[in-house]
Amino acid sequence: MTRKVVVTGMNIISSLGLDLQTNWEHLVQGKSGVGYIRGFDASNLQTKIAAEVPDSFEEYAKSFIRKRQAGQMTRVTRMCVVCAMEAVKAAHIDFGQLDRSRCAVIIGVVNTGNSSVEKGTKPQNTIFKSMTNSMPAWIALEYGLTGPSFAVNTACASSAYSLGLGFDLIRSGQADLVITGGADSIINPEEMAGFNALYALSVRNDPPEKASCPFSKNRDGFVVGEGAGIVILESEDSARARGAEILAEVAGYALTGEAYNIMAPMTDGAGMAITMEKALKNAGLTTDDIDYINAHGTSTELNDRFETMAIKTVFGPRAHHIPVSSTKSMTGHTIGAAGAIESAITVMSIRESIVPPTVNYDDPDPELDLDYVPNQARKHTIRAAMSNSFGFGGHNASLVFRKFQP
Amino acid sequence: MAVITNDIIKEVKEVICDFFAEECEVDRSTITDNTRIIKDLGGDSLMFLELIEIFKKKYNLDVELKTIGKYTVKHPVETIGQLIETQMKIIEFENKLIDLEK
Repeated sequence: MTRKVVVTGMNIISSLGLDLQTNWEHLVQGKSGVGYIRGFDASNLQTKIAAEVPDSFEEYAKSFIRKRQAGQMTRVTRMCVVCAMEAVKAAHIDFGQLDRSRCAVIIGVVNTGNSSVEKGTKPQNTIFKSMTNSMPAWIALEYGLTGPSFAVNTACASSAYSLGLGFDLIRSGQADLVITGGADSIINPEEMAGFNALYALSVRNDPPEKASCPFSKNRDGFVVGEGAGIVILESEDSARARGAEILAEVAGYALTGEAYNIMAPMTDGAGMAITMEKALKNAGLTTDDIDYINAHGTSTELNDRFETMAIKTVFGPRAHHIPVSSTKSMTGHTIGAAGAIESAITVMSIRESIVPPTVNYDDPDPELDLDYVPNQARKHTIRAAMSNSFGFGGHNASLVFRKFQP
Repeated sequence: MAVITNDIIKEVKEVICDFFAEECEVDRSTITDNTRIIKDLGGDSLMFLELIEIFKKKYNLDVELKTIGKYTVKHPVETIGQLIETQMKIIEFENKLIDLEK
């Protein structure tokens, strides 16, 4: 019999808050975390807005990470570690009671944030701050976990990949518990200028909170976010043995590569559709089983158009009856962290029977005609839900979660 | 080769204890010669390197890291007292530290 993989802990640090509950409340309220950039002087950039984590984070982090170790981490790495520690606490895990060699850490990360905004680095700490693998390493060190520990980088799909890989480690019997997730920030002058040069970012700076408007006609690019998301995956047996609360089941997933273009998604969302189809098949579900899709929904011209087309290709007439929302309208696009943050949101949606909205949906694009859950959260019973992540370079991931049934 | 005076000994002790108190967030008065750097303070081996750099600058020392490495393999440093003793040897003998092993 196949080992079931379940979610037993989660946490989010984003512009909307420093913990899961605050994030969820703000998502349901339709609150945007986007504002004028505070972390550096953005006056010379075309884009002057971003969804930055609250300034109170650093003070908050001090109660989790000792000063010595904090100096060896970037702010983003600290977000990852703090996020993981709170998720472990929420999952009531006592690693002393588990076989630590069967506990793994997989973190999706593209940037540790070791840019010009990171000040006061001692030369001895430069490498630690740059190593993307430092995030899983610090978490493994914190708990003495000696199972596989590594970072995965597939651009905006990185942390969705981490969940997929963690799922397989458990299902194949190689691990009992995997701390998955991601952390990222590209809120620095160098990378934002780079994305501006690719015309990827919104330049509608005023008012900031209206800029991220996925699926709307006036969308003009994504809004950069930052943060961390952690999802603790565990075998059903392990969760039961320690009496853990099971938040949801990971039904299945799919990862695909498009081999099409370094930046643009495959025309008409063909690669996205293949990913969603494979994920459903892997999960042993049909299109009729899916009651919510947390879209990649970046607020870029191509993603939103192609993702809509792909959903219609896969789900047929039912596509119009499934709520599809982009929570990036509120969190901004957190790049490597997005897949994990949105997985946690998707699990919360299943548990709370609430679909968070796509905010700023004020100017519908007549060509994009799905139910994007405009501007207001909605009560909705969800048996199973899909979370999509599609990265630069053609890295696609679709994850399927469902209500846990013993 | 430097002549070790009481002032230098006092200064080295102060720098080392202040450094660990600051980096490891512990009360300076709790650090004694018997305090274990990793087990009691949660320190790490990089701190030793940082201190070497501090003393190299402070006393304009001509000493290579590999010399210190060879010395500490035979004289492991676990406690604050051992660290102070090793730093004093480094200041006193610099690269000639290697000759002490011959």
